[in-house]
Amino acid sequence: MNPKRMLRNQVCAILLGAFAFAIAHQPAAAQDAATPYPKMAPLEQYLMDRDAEIALARSAAPDAISHDATVFVLTQHGYELAVKGTNGWVCWVGRAWLAMFDHPEYWNPKVRAAECINPPGARSLMPLAFKRTELVLAGRSKAEVVAALKAAFDKKELPAVEPGAASYMMSKSSYLTDAGDHNMPHLMFFAAVNSDANWGGVQQLAPAMSVNYWYMSPDAYPGLKSFPPLSVFLVGADKWSDGSSAPSM
Amino acid sequence: MPNNKLAAIAIETFALLIAFGTAHSAIAQNPTPYPSMAPIDQYLMDRSAEIALARTAAPDSISRDAEVLVLGHHSYESAAKGTNGFVCIVGRGWSAAADPDYWNPKVRVPMCMNAPAARSYLLRITKITDLALAGHNLAQSNDAMAAAVDKKELPPMEPGAMCYMMGKQGYGGDVLPHWPAHLMFFYSDTDPAAWGANHPGSPVIAVVDPQEHLTQFVIPVQHWADGTEAVAGGTHAH
Repeated sequence: MNPKRMLRNQVCAILLGAFAFAIAHQPAAAQDAATPYPKMAPLEQYLMDRDAEIALARSAAPDAISHDATVFVLTQHGYELAVKGTNGWVCWVGRAWLAMFDHPEYWNPKVRAAECINPPGARSLMPLAFKRTELVLAGRSKAEVVAALKAAFDKKELPAVEPGAASYMMSKSSYLTDAGDHNMPHLMFFAAVNSDANWGGVQQLAPAMSVNYWYMSPDAYPGLKSFPPLSVFLVGADKWSDGSSAPSM
Repeated sequence: MPNNKLAAIAIETFALLIAFGTAHSAIAQNPTPYPSMAPIDQYLMDRSAEIALARTAAPDSISRDAEVLVLGHHSYESAAKGTNGFVCIVGRGWSAAADPDYWNPKVRVPMCMNAPAARSYLLRITKITDLALAGHNLAQSNDAMAAAVDKKELPPMEPGAMCYMMGKQGYGGDVLPHWPAHLMFFYSDTDPAAWGANHPGSPVIAVVDPQEHLTQFVIPVQHWADGTEAVAGGTHAH
């Protein structure tokens, strides 16, 4: 396998769409394993206690940010407002189906990806996350979700990513993936570009990585190729949101 | 110029204050140690050494295919063609150090900018370099830069503009001798609060330059460009 592709797969193995940071030296077994979650688990496995979910969501960012943030929690029909904030930030706990569409952990019910997203990100990316979730919870297949999103983009029902969209994923309590230590504090930056090379991502020794928001392989769901370009640039943090030190990457 | 203000403000930021150690005392003791331009030769470097130093700003996987600019008598000049859109340079006092180091001839700050930054932020580096080499002092350069931005002779930052500053080598000036390994992101007219910058516990530090309508976000990273670990809150010891 070409080295760049191999590294990309290592990244993607624990990258859950808008979620996780990759550990460059992740064992190869993780990404080579057969799809461990072929279908959706019972819905209850994706839900959690409301108060616990609010607390987990807030733990994604330092208290100075998350204390005044709006919080959404997952219900049987989609994300719903749990706490109205005042600073424009939104904290929530993402589930695995918000990964890239061809991610092997797409249906992993253990995933709890706490994230606090800034105002430009909240305005432009949360509608997309909510829409995807509603479609998934309505029982739509991946292909149907892709088609529905494409139609929504075409009709301009979903906004384009705003410049400066960014998020914090620094919760010590997140579960991002079955791989490695399951978690890593990081920041994410979003841009309407397709090129990995734009930020120098997926490069050996680079402290940051950029990946396509929609897919690991552009051939997995050809319909995604016509989606608006969207890249995620991830930068590791050396501390969790509570200020304690995180392991070196 | 952005990095002048960046350094001045950064040292007031707790996290970087720790990282930069004695910066405050350096400023207090000697605010203007370099009142005028030194002989031009003191700012120049051996061409091969400057190329090599410039490339240390980013991991080799990025910098080896980057274009490199080196400082000439009147401006930066292309010294090595690149293929990946990145541009690496070695900043001097007028573009990459605190205000008191504007004319400090020892300043050498390697940085590698991505393509969007090369098309936007780099133009500010080269512009102020041209001004400095033509003899403009700090105040004159600041005024000229602000005017150029206002007249749109200098473009706003492109989406995604950023740079790597992960070089162990170099010299940041007497105020901030050794920058910690970090990334920088460049935006025009962006509120630091948009990234949660400068809050307790946030790893993001923001600096706003209202004259240039520029917001710079600084994010320390855990490794130098050569892969060795950069101790949290620490800097490279020369």
